[in-house]
Amino acid sequence: MVHDDYKEMIPAHALAALDAGDERALNEHLAGCAECHRDMAEWEETAAKLALSAKPMEPSPQVREKILNKIRAEKSPSKVLPFPSPRRTIWGAIAAVLLFGALLVSVIVLWQQNRELRRQNQFAELLTAPGSRIAELSGTNEAPGSTAKLAYDKNGRAFLIANGLPQAPEGKEYQLWYIVDNKPLPGKTFATDNSGHGRLEDQVPEAARQSAIFAITLEPAGGVRTPTGAIYLRGEL
Amino acid sequence: MLLVAQSGWTSSPVYLEALRSEQVQDNDVELLKGVASQDEAALAALYDRYRVILFGLLVRILNNREEAEDVLQEVFLQVWRRAADFDENRGRPFTWLVTLARSRGIDRLRTLAARERVAVAGAKDEAEAVSDAASDAFRSEQRGLVTNALAQLPDEQQHPLMLAYFDGLTQTEIAARLGAPLGTVKTRMRTGMMKLREMLAGKDASFGFRV
Repeated sequence: MVHDDYKEMIPAHALAALDAGDERALNEHLAGCAECHRDMAEWEETAAKLALSAKPMEPSPQVREKILNKIRAEKSPSKVLPFPSPRRTIWGAIAAVLLFGALLVSVIVLWQQNRELRRQNQFAELLTAPGSRIAELSGTNEAPGSTAKLAYDKNGRAFLIANGLPQAPEGKEYQLWYIVDNKPLPGKTFATDNSGHGRLEDQVPEAARQSAIFAITLEPAGGVRTPTGAIYLRGEL
Repeated sequence: MLLVAQSGWTSSPVYLEALRSEQVQDNDVELLKGVASQDEAALAALYDRYRVILFGLLVRILNNREEAEDVLQEVFLQVWRRAADFDENRGRPFTWLVTLARSRGIDRLRTLAARERVAVAGAKDEAEAVSDAASDAFRSEQRGLVTNALAQLPDEQQHPLMLAYFDGLTQTEIAARLGAPLGTVKTRMRTGMMKLREMLAGKDASFGFRV
């Protein structure tokens, strides 16, 4: 449509008689056309005069009273709001702090739950992805009851979940190793909780993806380049 | 009801006052500014000035006094809340108020139609006499200008305008109602509006309102 087409639509627009599609198109045009905008104001004046063709009628006197009562009711709340007393303010502040604390705890718990769920989902996705591999690690004499599972996909993205490990002494952490041709390649370190449960997200070196022995040792916190501690868990594909 | 004889009308103080439309309009603008600053007296004055014309419009749209009174309340409550939106550079207070009332009236009409509670056809309320004789005459003059202009339009142009304005029908709905092609309805409406504008041009002095 061109400018003149829109211009011709304006009288019907002033009567609010345009169909929805025309109304939308004209409104878009009006937003950028000062001339049509001016025209619209003039046509609205003409349309409004049609109201005068209706017979003038007197509403009942109660209407005026109802309107004035309602606007008084709308005005009054802001005028009569009591000023809060100091006592109320202190209790209000305490309540607000408690409420904020509770809210904060809830947010943290939810965040942790969400993180845990996300990890579980990632682990499940990794287990079911085509080409994924799973290695089961069993405890050595250092930790006879412990077990672990290491799963990784074809790109080497790996998750390790370990259970039953003794709690690592202060300054020590467990470290994952990838042993290829008797040569240990260092993985990341992890800590365990009170129940001996630990988990780790790591990247399996390319050399270790097809065939390797996986081991977990206890090492100085932060890990080392070559193993120094005893092996706690061991397994292979 | 016309209470002032037409012969003495043109020399009456009311008529002379009507000619000072700028003054009347300025007064309306001031009232709306007062309403915008939550001046209750300004709203009451605006109501007193426009209640009769707006109520007449609403009764014409809704065909029911009770509904029209309810919508009239809504309109003035909306004026109370939205008076700050009025921009005197974009139009006259009269146009703003009438457009607001008509829009509310049509909304209510559609709601009632949707609920199948439209007032019984033919049960149209009759206009009541307006107590103030001068105001009555003044309004009659204004109404006369518009009804005369409308009467000069052929029915085929006047009818669609009435269906759009008072019944809230769109052009497609009007075409269906009249059994006429959409293009024809559009042309007739445009032509009718252009003639109206032409006939009412220069008569703006008579569209000021007074209490």
